[in-house]
Amino acid sequence: MRKRDFPTLLLYVLSFLLLWEWLRPIEQLTDTDNIEVFILFLLVSLALSYLKLKWIWKFIIKSCYILIFLHHFYYEGSLFQFSWLSSFIANVVNNVGLLAARNWGDLSDEFRSFLFFILLWLMVYLIQYWLLRQQQIFIFFFMTLIYITVLDTFTNYEAKFSIVRTVVAGFTVMGMLAFYRILQREQVDSSPAFLKKWMVPLAGMIVFSVVVGIVSPKAAPIWPDPVPYLKAVKEGAGTTSGLGPHRIGYGTNDDRLGGPFIGDDSTVFLVEATGKHYWKVETKDIYTGKGWIPSGSTPIEFREGDFVPVYSIPGTVERLPETAKILPAETKHPLIVYPAGVQKLRDIKPVSPYEGLIQIDTTVERIKSFETEAYTVDFSVPKYKIEDLRKATGFNSREMGLKFYQRYTLLPKNLPPRIKQLTEEITKGKKNWFDKAQAVEDYFGRNDYTYDQKKVALPGKDIDYVDQFLFETKRGYCDNFSTSMAVMLRTIGIPTRWVKGFTGGEFMKYNLKDGTKRVYKVTNNNAHSWVEVFLPNQGWIPFEPTKGFTNEIRIDYGSNTSTSNTQRAEPAPVQKPKVPPKEDSKQTSAGEKGFDFKLVWLKWKFFFKANWKWFALSLTGLAALIGILYRIRGKWVPYLLLLHYRFKKNDETIGKAYLILLRQLERYGLKRQKNQTLRNYARYVDQFFSTREMTRLTSYYEQYLYHKDLPEGGWQETRELWENLIKRTIA
Amino acid sequence: MTREKMNPTIEKILANIEKVMIGKRDVAELSLVALLAEGHVLLEDVPGVGKTMMVRALAKSVNANFRRIQFTPDLLPSDVTGVSIYNPKKMEFEFRPGPLMGNIILADEINRTSPKTQSALLEGMEEASVTIDGVTHKLHKPFFVMATQNPIEYEGTYPLPEAQLDRFLLKMKMGYPDLQEEVEVLNRAQKIPPIEDLHPVIDLDELRVLQQEMKDVYVDDTIKRYIVEIVNRTRGHGSVYLGASPRGSIALMKAAQAYAYMYDRDYIVPDDIQYLAPFVLSHRIILKSEAKFEGTSAEKVINQIVARVPVPVQRLVK
Repeated sequence: MRKRDFPTLLLYVLSFLLLWEWLRPIEQLTDTDNIEVFILFLLVSLALSYLKLKWIWKFIIKSCYILIFLHHFYYEGSLFQFSWLSSFIANVVNNVGLLAARNWGDLSDEFRSFLFFILLWLMVYLIQYWLLRQQQIFIFFFMTLIYITVLDTFTNYEAKFSIVRTVVAGFTVMGMLAFYRILQREQVDSSPAFLKKWMVPLAGMIVFSVVVGIVSPKAAPIWPDPVPYLKAVKEGAGTTSGLGPHRIGYGTNDDRLGGPFIGDDSTVFLVEATGKHYWKVETKDIYTGKGWIPSGSTPIEFREGDFVPVYSIPGTVERLPETAKILPAETKHPLIVYPAGVQKLRDIKPVSPYEGLIQIDTTVERIKSFETEAYTVDFSVPKYKIEDLRKATGFNSREMGLKFYQRYTLLPKNLPPRIKQLTEEITKGKKNWFDKAQAVEDYFGRNDYTYDQKKVALPGKDIDYVDQFLFETKRGYCDNFSTSMAVMLRTIGIPTRWVKGFTGGEFMKYNLKDGTKRVYKVTNNNAHSWVEVFLPNQGWIPFEPTKGFTNEIRIDYGSNTSTSNTQRAEPAPVQKPKVPPKEDSKQTSAGEKGFDFKLVWLKWKFFFKANWKWFALSLTGLAALIGILYRIRGKWVPYLLLLHYRFKKNDETIGKAYLILLRQLERYGLKRQKNQTLRNYARYVDQFFSTREMTRLTSYYEQYLYHKDLPEGGWQETRELWENLIKRTIA
Repeated sequence: MTREKMNPTIEKILANIEKVMIGKRDVAELSLVALLAEGHVLLEDVPGVGKTMMVRALAKSVNANFRRIQFTPDLLPSDVTGVSIYNPKKMEFEFRPGPLMGNIILADEINRTSPKTQSALLEGMEEASVTIDGVTHKLHKPFFVMATQNPIEYEGTYPLPEAQLDRFLLKMKMGYPDLQEEVEVLNRAQKIPPIEDLHPVIDLDELRVLQQEMKDVYVDDTIKRYIVEIVNRTRGHGSVYLGASPRGSIALMKAAQAYAYMYDRDYIVPDDIQYLAPFVLSHRIILKSEAKFEGTSAEKVINQIVARVPVPVQRLVK
């Protein structure tokens, strides 16, 4: 067993780092909170192990730790009342039963925490076993790497530095353990000089490999990302939560936006209508910094054929009635979609089982789904007047309630202030809300924001979703654009809400029965989000900040009666702009640090490319020369040595000279066994050459070596012997 | 192959011994090594190979007081150390020294006597003094014990405990003479025993000088390390139950000093160590019983170890 010395401490610290790498992703990827408690537990366990307390003390301390924190998180009342203990034990017993029944989903949180503690305990024990008994950590190191790389590949966990950390810690531990293993096997005592000899090259190698690893250019993956494939195998769109690349489609959970999307062109519903419309499913009102959540839930019922209780377009706006028929692809619990200005739902087939009652959550304006093959939507298409739209310039309590205003201008407290600064800059000079909203909407179209579904960042723990998109990544899809616009407008006091639904879909054919109606196919790829801005007396006006999308609303510009707002510098309605995919996602995250290295590397590469033939040739030539010289070293090395030692006068020279002679003799084929004494060997050499020179030289060397008392002028006398012997080794 | 030049005085002693001993020069050399290093020798061999002759010749050559103790089961400690006897004339107890009060003692068949008597002898060897009736008597200097042990008969013997075995500096075997030598032995046996004609080469004072000079033989750190490495490896060897103690290291060093001195060198070379290691270490280790059943002997183990420890061929780097 090892002592409590510094190297052991170092080993423990490094293995703690390795273990920590296992815990790091957990907080990001799962809903585990308070991960620092577990990290601290690791630290305590390793410290106890290092201090080599008796097992009983270790057991008591660790158990107390676990109980204290379990109590802290899950139980109320004093720790020392102990009544909670009995309920905890009951809980454990109950959960063990669930375990036996393989009813994993129902396990209680405290039991899971408890199990996690036990798992960490085991890990620490294993680490200790590997470090001290086996002195081999490779398996654990390897597993750590696999764990991290798998997470990096299949989830959004950014393992870039994690890998570097793991490699450094792992290699150091392995190097140190190898050193101690060798010491033990060879029964050598460790001396500081020894340690230095081992550790300095080890440290050098690690630093070298890390630097090379960081600096060298990384080839693009030679096989495609396996995730889409795996996901494709496991069919299922829509309801993926905020983690991992989503399959595109409609999902209800938006509390964590971001991350890449994968296309999916399975049909969601067909529409028969006179024109294209955006189809709403729900709206959300609270921005959390990571995504959107509804402020509450107010389910009410209304009768089929009644007016749908959502914010309607006020009577002050000119409206044109329209109807559309919707045929969901999936008839069981489909999403009920409706256009802006929805009036009634009718002709629901089959007739609703709730006797024509339809449920709607008015907070999010989502209509509860039921079994439906088709339904008809009556709605009115608004036609706004530009002067009416421009009327609103600020909050006026006569036009809207304060609570309403506050609800739709609410922002998270820690929203970075630069969002507001940017918005104010963009809207400078604009007087009214509508113009301001348009300015923000245009801002995305004009500036270097890129539409992309793949290389989209998922904000880290302390990063705001909007802030990251606006200032750092500038790359994203509808959620990024719409959320950003909604949040930006809220910073300058304009009430907005975030709308989710589908775009108009793809035109398929004309309806044969009714020539005015066209049939559109809406697929999962059409899932979309946009912004609605509330203007007093005008209602919720939709805006489309996402680059490459348009949502047509009719606006009467007075003199020149244009019908749509597409006249603004919008490109033609393209569904999915092809984004040039050549840029690496690296570029966004690689900091300024890597840039210099990259530049140097590039320069080097060009130089090398220009001269590679010359390089290759000279390298081969050099290698060949070295090879030949090595082959015939017997012919020239002895002369070099003779020359070198001819002019040495110092008696101590014999020490080096004799060892060189031994090496030359060995090369010549007269190998000294490790246990052979010099005398013995000298006799053997002399017998071979039929001389007595080696014996005589050896007796001098023995005096030098074992007596430290060489007669003066010893080297001068023996040099001749030495030279003769060296000459004999010339091949 | 020529023999290394020897210290002239020692060469003379050896020549003197060779007058009566045929062959067995190595045994004589080793005995002298023990004598010079102020150690003792355990001879393990069958009777009749000339053990007594050897010791007597040695004693005569250095003009030492030779005593012989034949150990028997009924021998008492006082038979070895001496006893106080009441002198009616002087009306007091008078100390009559036992055979231990000599310079060179042959302790024949030491394993035949009771442990009590054995320990009286061993105490003398270790302390160079004996305590009788509460009075401590210093033993003569030089004091050299050559104990013999018969490895054939174990019936009714008291094998020496391991702790006492390492009081002996060297343990060796005599072995039979070869054919030619044995014929020569017969030739000499026809005449009167030549031992009577042997004359001293040096006297005890000169021997004491030799013993003193031997201590000046230089032991380099590389050699010390080499010794320690060998001894250390006896502790981790697979066939060994109990390895040699640091006393073993000291013994090896002292013996090597004496051996180097004998060959007129004032420094030790690894060859000395390699030669002496089996004699110095083999009785200081205890083999595992498995190893014994497999036919391994302590000498073999030591030789194995010596063959494995690399010889130092360059100075230690500090």
